[in-house]
Amino acid sequence: MRRKQAEIATDPVAFEAFYRRHVDAVTRFLARRVDDPHTVADLVAEVFVAVLDSAQTYRSGLGSEIAWLYGVARNTLSAERRRAFRESRLADRLNGRRLLDSDDLVRLEERIDAESHARRAFEAMAELPEGERAVIELVALDQLTVAEAAQALGIRQGTARVRLHRARRVLRAVPFVMGGTTR
Amino acid sequence: MSFEERLLMELKTEVAARGERRRRTTVRRLFAGAAVAGLAAAAAVAVPLLTGTERPAYAVSENADGTIRVQIKEFRDADRLEGDLKRMGITADVSYTPPGKRCQSNRGRVLGGESATPEEWDKSPSAKAVRMTRHGIYIDPAHVAAGQTVVMEFAENDDQTSDEPQVRWQFVGLVIDGPVKPCVLVDDPLWYDVGGPEGQPPAGS
Repeated sequence: MRRKQAEIATDPVAFEAFYRRHVDAVTRFLARRVDDPHTVADLVAEVFVAVLDSAQTYRSGLGSEIAWLYGVARNTLSAERRRAFRESRLADRLNGRRLLDSDDLVRLEERIDAESHARRAFEAMAELPEGERAVIELVALDQLTVAEAAQALGIRQGTARVRLHRARRVLRAVPFVMGGTTR
Repeated sequence: MSFEERLLMELKTEVAARGERRRRTTVRRLFAGAAVAGLAAAAAVAVPLLTGTERPAYAVSENADGTIRVQIKEFRDADRLEGDLKRMGITADVSYTPPGKRCQSNRGRVLGGESATPEEWDKSPSAKAVRMTRHGIYIDPAHVAAGQTVVMEFAENDDQTSDEPQVRWQFVGLVIDGPVKPCVLVDDPLWYDVGGPEGQPPAGS
């Protein structure tokens, strides 16, 4: 199965299937965190390039595709926030915003608006310690299970559950945060 | 066409380019017989079809430049091969593994580290010390210090007659500094990856 997953980096047909399965989820994931459509477009491109770079790290036996992908997306986003991604040569070549037309911009802005509750919830979470914030983001906002969130973050399920519990205690008053599953 | 479709087209171009690079790498790897680091720095070379049927299981000879050439004819007599190499001043650990299996990595401290890319591996001390070529395996004693062991692992396919593309045998060569743990067999998922387009062995191999 590891080989099958690595194929998405070298086989255009396998990659297209993977892309179509997940491009919407990735776009929404980013729209919950970034409110500028150009940046969202850049990041969608960047996440899928990162998928190509790290396809061999995926192990199908160890959890879901989306959890792995959200893990990649989180790393891409923090790289962007550190601005490190601008140093990547590929990012210069494959720059998402160059591909946007005005219809796309409208659609992306709608998506971003639709996720405005989530972004407000992020602001409320800003005070939490990083480890707890990461778990509650993935569970309450991205709708991963606790097991998937643990996989995305590379931590143990028990650790994820404890952090989720602590974060919820702090954020009891914030709408949205109590959603998500506890499995 | 939407942004998502345009992005998909660009990404597919990139995927195709990567697939092409990977195929080229595979061809180069087979020709040079050099090493690719698979899981944790294993230098693995998949060699399709070996037809030699001459007797002794292997031949060891010393070249004018001080390197030692090992030609494996049959995958047996590993202990005797280790003894012959020992007499030539090389501590070696030779394992013949069944098809689809390999030795678990983590057998010791691999020279060249647990590094990854074929390019890095080609420059590592392990690759300098033990190299696979079309004429056999070359061991360079100048790159094997005291206390270091040349580790060679071979896997053989039972089916040497099929016309189907398949891995006939596979070689891992590296140098471990310090103690070497015994070979623990694990499944080798790469065994079924014969490389090349449509699973055909690359041309010329």
